Amino acid sequence: MIESPRNAVADFCRGGAVTWEKFWFLPATASRLAVVRILAGLLGVALAWSWGTDLVGWFGDGGIVSPAVLEAWRSPTAVSLFDFVRSPPALWALFLAGVIAFVLLAAGAATPIVAPLAAIFWASLLHRAPMLAGPADDVLAAMLWCLVVSRAGDTLSVDRMLAGREPAPSWRNRTALGLLRIHASVIAAAAILSQLKADIWWDGTAAWWLASRESSRIGIAGILARSEWLTNLVTHAITLFEGAFALGLWQRLCRPLVAWAGIICWPLIGLLAGETFWGGAMAILSFACLPTAEDDTRP
Amino acid sequence: MARDRRQEIPRQPRSAVQPPVASVATPVAASSSGGAGQTGLEGRRSAGDGRPSETVRGVATLLLSLYLAGLALSVASNSASGTSALLETIHSRFFSPWMVPAWLDVGHDTRLTYGLPEDADHHIEVLPVEGSGRGSVRIPAAVERSERAARWRRLARAAALAEEGDEQAGVLPAAIGGGLFAKVGNDDLLVRVGRVVPPEFSAAASPPVAETALEARVRRIDGDVQLIPSKPAEEMAPVIDRAPLRGGEGSGS
Repeated sequence: MIESPRNAVADFCRGGAVTWEKFWFLPATASRLAVVRILAGLLGVALAWSWGTDLVGWFGDGGIVSPAVLEAWRSPTAVSLFDFVRSPPALWALFLAGVIAFVLLAAGAATPIVAPLAAIFWASLLHRAPMLAGPADDVLAAMLWCLVVSRAGDTLSVDRMLAGREPAPSWRNRTALGLLRIHASVIAAAAILSQLKADIWWDGTAAWWLASRESSRIGIAGILARSEWLTNLVTHAITLFEGAFALGLWQRLCRPLVAWAGIICWPLIGLLAGETFWGGAMAILSFACLPTAEDDTRP
Repeated sequence: MARDRRQEIPRQPRSAVQPPVASVATPVAASSSGGAGQTGLEGRRSAGDGRPSETVRGVATLLLSLYLAGLALSVASNSASGTSALLETIHSRFFSPWMVPAWLDVGHDTRLTYGLPEDADHHIEVLPVEGSGRGSVRIPAAVERSERAARWRRLARAAALAEEGDEQAGVLPAAIGGGLFAKVGNDDLLVRVGRVVPPEFSAAASPPVAETALEARVRRIDGDVQLIPSKPAEEMAPVIDRAPLRGGEGSGS
């Protein structure tokens, strides 16, 4: 029996709608997101610490990132809470409030309030000095907004201890997990698209450039210098991994493999490139992409 | 159908960030597997499986679609390769105004390296031009690999790259000098952005090359910060006598 084109289109749309609903709205427990929340909170504290040492030197009166600098660098629609404070005590008060928000986020205390506060603080800090922001900051910002959507404080948290009862699975957790997976895939895809514009990622010497910089955390420049093949292998392994990660997250059988590979490989790439926290942030995203128990029950 | 939903008791406590509609309409959450066999198109009947009401799903779908479109446009428009006028216009008019404040309007084009001098590690050197002071300052130190050091390297790199543009040229060197007057103990400074460029792989045994990407004199006179740009010596054209123009070209006035 030949199906009419109209029915085929209707079936296709129906299938798409069902997939969409399952991907975004099927209730999920908060256990995976709770771990992401803890790790994101700790990452936030660590990254915020890197601003703390020079806070007044950058943002204070007569600091390097002056209003004139911001005018030349920042998007007109950007806004920062730090725009309104210049004195050292006020700067430190606002900064420490943000760090406390990260600590509370990691602890899961008042998570529904603290998660958006941490996201707003982080966006404010980055907008105060956009030229100082790095890839780890971008990934953390995306992760924090995903946590705002979720009910990540439902488990492994102070909130859970105070509530004293088992939380129910929530569709918001599924939505947040979906957003995290999309971000993981998009970031990997954007990275590989960007890298492959340069010859050194094709001729296989990019690993040498990464390892031979002062900022690299892995001292393998000497080893790479002795073997062109090894240099080529490391370079191509990075691009191959990034491509497999971006695509593999959408294939049911590959997903656990690439997610686990991400947990191991992203930090290694980060160490090699001198972007340790970016590697760590991507590993957290990879963890969020591991299949959940609820995924196995899906028809 | 609506009456059935009102009779259902929300099991989850309402959180501060939970949309009001969801807290009213979210039905009793069953186990995740309990509703797994029901399709989204059966939304009205499957309200008891823990999924949100049809209204909430509709609103969430709209918001998610909007965000995903914004994410795609951010990646397409924030690439180092540039973007089309059409995408840029759509992106800047409809998405940037709400994505930028949240720091979600980023391209994520983490290239790691292109093997160019501008991808080398940059640093800032500040030294007094004349008179006394506490000596020169190099930030970050060569051996420092912390995230703080990475931020200073980004600042130095941004200062060097900005010299290629009109709007941002000179702004950061002046700000860096102005911000470090007190640290160096002098109001007349030479601000230098240096970088250590690794050798080509084919000459891997060679030492890295130290380059000066930017050099400027920054001084404060009567409270005003002045910037006097100076080209690095290796970029200066040799001073020669003007050669006569061939064929009298340009000789007429």
